[in-house]
Amino acid sequence: MHIAEGFLPPAHAVGWTVAAAPFVLHGARAVVREVRERPESTLLLGAAGAFTFVLSAIKLPSVTGSSSHPTGTGPGAILFRPPVMALLGTVVLLFQALLLAHGGLTTLGANAVAFAVVGPWVGYGAYRLVRGLGAGLLPAVFAGVALADLATYVTTSLQLALAFPDASTGFAGAVAKFLGVFAITQVPLALAEGLLGVLLFRALTANARPELERLGVLRREPAVPAGGAA
Amino acid sequence: MSLAIDDAAWASAWRRRSPADKLLLCGGLVGCALVLPAWPGSVLVALAAVVLALGPARVPARTFARAVRWPLAFVVVGALTAVVTVDGGGLGWTPDAPARAGSLVGHAVAGGAAVLLLATTTPMSDLLPALQRLRVPAAVTEVASVTYRLLFLLLDGLRTIREAQAARMGHSSTRRSLRSSGVLAAAVLTRSWDRARRLQEGLAGRGMETGLRVLPEALPSSRRFVAATLAGLTGLVAVSLAVA
Repeated sequence: MHIAEGFLPPAHAVGWTVAAAPFVLHGARAVVREVRERPESTLLLGAAGAFTFVLSAIKLPSVTGSSSHPTGTGPGAILFRPPVMALLGTVVLLFQALLLAHGGLTTLGANAVAFAVVGPWVGYGAYRLVRGLGAGLLPAVFAGVALADLATYVTTSLQLALAFPDASTGFAGAVAKFLGVFAITQVPLALAEGLLGVLLFRALTANARPELERLGVLRREPAVPAGGAA
Repeated sequence: MSLAIDDAAWASAWRRRSPADKLLLCGGLVGCALVLPAWPGSVLVALAAVVLALGPARVPARTFARAVRWPLAFVVVGALTAVVTVDGGGLGWTPDAPARAGSLVGHAVAGGAAVLLLATTTPMSDLLPALQRLRVPAAVTEVASVTYRLLFLLLDGLRTIREAQAARMGHSSTRRSLRSSGVLAAAVLTRSWDRARRLQEGLAGRGMETGLRVLPEALPSSRRFVAATLAGLTGLVAVSLAVA
């Protein structure tokens, strides 16, 4: 769930836009460089953006019996890296604001910080950390995707707490309130999105191994010498 | 598969108006929604956006009403959370809770209606060239335009695969549903790569060396529309400040 248009005070909307700008510009520069060197990357990056948008339209079963939607940025961060996701995530947020009325234009900066910057970086960091500790691909994907989801909602809660501090307990009380409403309720959904990530990467390992090797998610298997193993 | 807001934008009576003119109007309304006092500023902005959308722009009322449901859920939950106070004794309301909640909801509904006016009258493919004129790099707007064109194909694939999974009892239990969702996501991703590869091969065969060049559609600005926008926004600000 993104912060709706007009919900943040003007100063906060401007502040979060300024905060998101360096990350989005860095992502834009990476995309411009990539497209200049390989014009065909435009299509692959566009496909990655469309996948992130569509992933957020998949219904996830939740433990309460209802359903919800994944954020979709965790798998993107692992597959395409956080700098590219900062730009693609912002493009997806713009599309969600104008095609689905989710989020908004003046809140685009705040939502970009949560959804396109903090979520992907936390998710990618967790993924790299778990892989660095010697775990396999799937546990690392679970940690990365679940934490990317959770980090997005924790950031949204902190943004709302900053904008609307509690009348008697200030920022700390507001953090507790907004985390309780927007982030704690998200824990089961983050776990479900982590499981979705595991199932996604398991299916990709079976059906799209060359693409995962090209993206650097899997190591290239050594070529089997002619004649095969004895 | 189509999206209701996108369909409304293509069918809108304002479809052929200049995107810059519509950005001026909707941007002005969003600015008024944020800056003016909730009473009467937000009420006037929301009214203006709804009347313009349902009147001259001929956006279906059902599309407009359905589109505000999700953001309204966030706005109501967020506003209630903001006016609840937490202290040692438990939960309570802030002294000015009704006014504060009303102000939050007013600003958000007015801003949301103004953005929705833009969204339901301007297709994304008209807005992306406008972004390029605002000095967004061509490579970025091209990636965004490929995203826009591919997402409908992928949404179509998503619906078809999901229907096939449901017909095979793929969503009959939570465990099966989660597994089906994972396979569904993988199928959508591999389809997107396949589509991109085939598009690239087709364009390479036609000699694509630099950007994706398309013939821009001429949508000239209207002086009358711009003048009416400026007069309307000025009147809205003046009335709001006089009443407040």
